[in-house]
Amino acid sequence: QFGPCRVEGVVLQKLWEAFRAVKDIVQAQDNITGVRLLRKEVLQNVSEAESCYLIHALLKFYLDTVFRNYRRKAAEFRILRSLSTLANNFIVIVSKLQLSQENKMFSTWESARKRFLLFQRAFKQLDREAAVTKAFGEVDILLTWMEKFQQL
Amino acid sequence: DAVAVLPAPQNLSVQSTNMKHVLTWSPVVVPEEIIHYSVEYQGEYESLYMSHIWIPSSWCSPTAGPECDITDDITATVPYNLRVRAVLGSQTSAWSTLKQPFNQNSTILTPPGMEVTQDGFHLVIKLEDLGPQFEYFVAYWRKESGAEEHVKMVMNGGVPVHLETMEPGSAYCVKAQTFVKAIGRHSAFSQAECVKVQGETLPL
Repeated sequence: QFGPCRVEGVVLQKLWEAFRAVKDIVQAQDNITGVRLLRKEVLQNVSEAESCYLIHALLKFYLDTVFRNYRRKAAEFRILRSLSTLANNFIVIVSKLQLSQENKMFSTWESARKRFLLFQRAFKQLDREAAVTKAFGEVDILLTWMEKFQQL
Repeated sequence: DAVAVLPAPQNLSVQSTNMKHVLTWSPVVVPEEIIHYSVEYQGEYESLYMSHIWIPSSWCSPTAGPECDITDDITATVPYNLRVRAVLGSQTSAWSTLKQPFNQNSTILTPPGMEVTQDGFHLVIKLEDLGPQFEYFVAYWRKESGAEEHVKMVMNGGVPVHLETMEPGSAYCVKAQTFVKAIGRHSAFSQAECVKVQGETLPL
């Protein structure tokens, strides 16, 4: 339950299994250890109301940019299967996040957008391939944050 | 002499029951030759963002076929494209692709098997273990008019679960259904099973 948005049909456990299967391979490729894209200012103290906008923006970015650009490496490292599990479940989540446009509380949306822009700016400051590798390696940070909004 | 052109497998279809998905096809027959097959899949993400990307199936690349358990390949509730080709040595047929993409939310959910027993005055149920994706709703009631129906959620099959401490001389009935969170669907209820408790009702 991301604030006003409810998502069903995704089992986070499956996503964790998919990521853990590749975590060591992916994170070993990240040489820029002093930088974190999903840092505290992006994910900490996110209000329930903000969470729907933020999760939508982050997952869309992962689908459109991170996973897409990591595909060649994924094929090289033979981890396409895990990438496929993560990406297809992110598609399910994004498709179920009904961002109600009508009563979009502008201030909440704006606050969520600022957080996302912090992440995106940090991403763009790195070399493209390094940024994609680092972002993929930070999927565990993303899943941990998403778990906080999980209702069993 | 090599087969002129290895024919592609035909009649692809998926049978899915209780979240176990099996792709089947008509075997390719070449006299005195053993044909193998390769199965590949593509989720909605691949078909939207990288349509040329197909992923080899976990268990069937290659396989002696003509069927393939694709359960481990279907890891999201999205449409999946599936394709198969025949392999004979270095020769491969054209790919045959499943006409309609497969989505696990179409799986057939059957009522769970269950064993209802009594352990002294305790009503105990043991449900069929259908795998980690399954949860179970168990309904039970005392067999008398106007009796209230109780419901219990059981997270795992295959282990005995205590439902109720029964009154001597009474009968109790139980039924169960499965629920799969990943697709948000449940099965029909099983047939009710009833047990009668030995012994007389003790007078107060």
